[in-house]
Amino acid sequence: MSRTVNSNVIKESAARKVFRVFNVLFLTLVCFIVVIPIWNVLITSVAEDKDVMGGVYLIIPKSFTLKSYARVLNSGYMRGFWNSLFIAGVGTVVAMLITVPMGYALAQRKLVARNFFMKMVSLTLVFDAGIMPLYVLIRTLGLIDNSWSLILPFAVSTFNLIIVKNFMMSIPESFVESASLDGCNDLMALVWIVLPMSVPILAAVTLFYFVSFWNRYTEAVMFINNSARYTLQVMLRALIYQSDGSLGEGNIVYENTKMAVMVLGMLPVMIIYPFVQRHFVSGLMLGGVKE
Amino acid sequence: MKTKATKNAQVINQPRGSLRKRIWKQRWLLMMLIPGLIWFIVFKYATYAGLSLSFTNYGFRKTVSFVGLRNFQRLFRSASFWNAFRNTIIISLYNIVFYFPFPILIALLINELRSVHSKRTVQFLIYIPYFFSWVVVGTVFVNLLSPSSGIVNQILKSLGLDTIYFMSDVRWFRKVLILSYIWKQMGYGAVIYVATLSTVDPQMYEASEIDGCGKFRQVLYITLPTIKPTIITMLLLNLSHVLMIFDQVMVMYNASVYSVSDVLQTYSYREGVLTGNLGFGTAVSLFVGVVSLLLVMGTNWISKHFLEDSIL
Repeated sequence: MSRTVNSNVIKESAARKVFRVFNVLFLTLVCFIVVIPIWNVLITSVAEDKDVMGGVYLIIPKSFTLKSYARVLNSGYMRGFWNSLFIAGVGTVVAMLITVPMGYALAQRKLVARNFFMKMVSLTLVFDAGIMPLYVLIRTLGLIDNSWSLILPFAVSTFNLIIVKNFMMSIPESFVESASLDGCNDLMALVWIVLPMSVPILAAVTLFYFVSFWNRYTEAVMFINNSARYTLQVMLRALIYQSDGSLGEGNIVYENTKMAVMVLGMLPVMIIYPFVQRHFVSGLMLGGVKE
Repeated sequence: MKTKATKNAQVINQPRGSLRKRIWKQRWLLMMLIPGLIWFIVFKYATYAGLSLSFTNYGFRKTVSFVGLRNFQRLFRSASFWNAFRNTIIISLYNIVFYFPFPILIALLINELRSVHSKRTVQFLIYIPYFFSWVVVGTVFVNLLSPSSGIVNQILKSLGLDTIYFMSDVRWFRKVLILSYIWKQMGYGAVIYVATLSTVDPQMYEASEIDGCGKFRQVLYITLPTIKPTIITMLLLNLSHVLMIFDQVMVMYNASVYSVSDVLQTYSYREGVLTGNLGFGTAVSLFVGVVSLLLVMGTNWISKHFLEDSIL
């Protein structure tokens, strides 16, 4: 009897060992599939011209030079970079200034007409009017060719608003109540008590907003026709998909220079991500988009 | 100071004063709400109202007149609309069938890793592409799949197979769309599921092991029920925008694959913005919005009745 149990345990653990090895191998493979294309972009951008000619996919670096970056720094792509940075920077600040107070107000169970406001907000999560009415609105407001057309319409993401609200609802009400007994109004309670307790969610939402402004493409194509105001993503798409000759000698843009523009297009996000990442698990329990 | 505090305490004791008193008491809260409310009215509810343009011949010309359902009649008779509709449905089905289960699977596997450190590393790495724009992701796939320098075609060549023009081959383009979608989005979903999985009490697993439960049955009876609400939430969120697929196609498609990749949003953009029939383009928008809404409501109804779980 005891022998069969033992052999069962041994068989079980052997099967699990095999599973664990395969699991580790599989997840390693997944990580490689994610990382290798990014690695390729990075090392292509620092390779010499001769190493990127003739159709190679670099995985092992062959050379290191910052020549491509020097070319990009002196090109029109920098204007796109600054345009994008303005939109993403100002956009994120505006978005946080609207989203955080609104999330806080909606998190207060005592709020007048709270149900109505919540319904008004939640509806936008499931029904979207699509791109045409927004285009008409932007035209009507006279914002075509204006950078604000890429800031104002995206200043609130319902999804971000709801995760901020849910996080703030999880803060015990007694904190805010005792503050109000001490003579704090709601604004002071938000600034001095709730905000310091909400750092993880604020970090995550700030990154999400920044990324959404920085990466926006289709609307940038639709709303901005003046080439002086193009965003970097629009310029990058044009560079990759239609060879244009503003960067290379003659009409050839070397692969390394294209990839240097790519790195520029990923740069701010990649700088912020590692700092914000540790807040993600605590900040992003989705458990409730549920009200 | 003291009188103010007692006054506040009294108000807290009797929460339902007259409406005017409550509003005055909550003036700070309401002021915080106002910028957001204005935003929702201008950029959401005004665009809902703007959908009424689909019953007009609104365009770049001066006069606008009411045309009833004529835009919709034209829409439903247009072959390119039905082609775009078919493409949208096919790509959405690919999305639900091939993409949707993927992050769940990855999360279950990450959850089986023993060391906290490797769990974190895997999550950190696979989350990265989520922060890339579609332009960046599109370029990554152009590089990977390029007929001359792409690594995939180099592997095919070394195996003695023919070069495949993935980006311009109508048989391959939709597969490229969904593969790049998985590459970009899987980390985001996986991290959310892993976070939910970490709420399972380890004692449940221990207890079930003592009762002779195998690993597979543990997944079936403990793990999946735990993440069921998250799965349903993610499914509904996914359904609410799956028909709105736009950025990815705008970035990645080209003339040679229009026939298999023109979706409702790109069709609406071309008809509305490029051709100038804004009323007609809006009719397409309204159609997509309503179908999406029905899809979400229907799924929510099903999950409420059969899985006793819903988000709405």
